[in-house]
Amino acid sequence: MSAEPQTLDVCAFWVGEAIYGIDVARVDEILPRVVPLPVAEGPAHVEGVVHVQGTVVPIVDLRKLLPAGTPPRTAKPKVILARIGRRRVGLRVDGMAGVRRYTVAEIRPGGSVPGVLAVTADECRLLDLRGLLAVRAAPPRVPL
Amino acid sequence: MSQEPRGLEELLARFRYRPDEESGGLAQIPTQTVEPDQEPRADELQLLTFGLGAGEYAVALGTVTEILRARTLTEIPRARPPLLGVLNLRGTITPVYDPSLRLGIPSTVPPCAGPDCAPPPRPARILVVRTALGPAGVWVDRVRGVQRVRTGGLERPRGGPTGGVIGLLRTAEGSRTVVDPEWLLR
Repeated sequence: MSAEPQTLDVCAFWVGEAIYGIDVARVDEILPRVVPLPVAEGPAHVEGVVHVQGTVVPIVDLRKLLPAGTPPRTAKPKVILARIGRRRVGLRVDGMAGVRRYTVAEIRPGGSVPGVLAVTADECRLLDLRGLLAVRAAPPRVPL
Repeated sequence: MSQEPRGLEELLARFRYRPDEESGGLAQIPTQTVEPDQEPRADELQLLTFGLGAGEYAVALGTVTEILRARTLTEIPRARPPLLGVLNLRGTITPVYDPSLRLGIPSTVPPCAGPDCAPPPRPARILVVRTALGPAGVWVDRVRGVQRVRTGGLERPRGGPTGGVIGLLRTAEGSRTVVDPEWLLR
C-alpha cells in the first residue's frame, strides 16, 4: 500500500448549503461567465452546451443533481471545466471554496447523499463524479 | 496504510482522476473528447482563406500567428502605401500593410490610422505574420476560415512560382489565389 498517496488534493465548491469536492486533477479551468446553448431533448440536469477552445462541452447543473438549498450570499456562481476520462464536462456550481489538502485519516467513508463517496473532517463531501452523471437514466422518449 | 479500511481505499480510487477511466456511461451527454480529433495529414495543406475587395485569397495557415479584429492604427507621418500604420501588439510595435498594392487590385482599405478616422468595418481583420524583421500585419477585408486541401489539389503555375503566387485553388464557390504572405509585405 506504499503506492497509495497519503494526501488528497480536492477542489472544493459550494452547491446549495454544502461544500462538495472533486479531485483537482480533474479540473481544467474555472469559467466565470458561461451562457450555454440549450440542447433540445437533453436531460433535465444538462443546461446546454458551450464552445470551449473549439470543443463542445455540456454544462451540467449540479444544483439539480445534489440537494439544493440557499447558497451563501458571498458565493459567486462558476462553471468548473472538469475531465471525466477523456471527456470534458462543465459543472455549474454556486461558488468556489478553494483547493484543500486532506490526509487519508481525515476522510471517513459514506454519506447520506447519492453520489457522495466520502466526507472529510470539515464536512467537504467528496463526489463520485462519474457515478453521479452516469446513473441518470434518459427520460422516456415520447413516441411521435 | 494497511490498517485503513478497504472500503475507503476503493472510494478514493473512484474519487481520483485517471485519464483512462471509463466514461462510456455518459453517452447521453453530448460531448467531445479532450484531444483534438484529427491531425493534419502529411499530404494535407491547411489554408487560411480571406477576402480582399471582390477577390478571394488564401495563405498557408502556419504562416499566420494571429488574427486580430481590425482596429484604429497609430498613424505614421507621411506613410506611403502599402504601409497603413502601426499597431501595439502586446508591447511589440507591428507595422500593418495593405496587400492590395502588391496584388494589383484597387485598395479597399478605408482610412484607418490616426485618431480622426472612423472605426474600421466590422468584418475587417489583421493577419499577423512572422517575418525576418519581426511581426507584421496584413489588412484583409474578411476572413473566411480554414480549409484543408490535398497538396495535389492546388493548381501550380506552370513555370514555377511567379512572384508570391503559390497556386490556385478551385472550389465549388470559385477559385482562390494562394499567396505567400511575406511577398505581400515586400
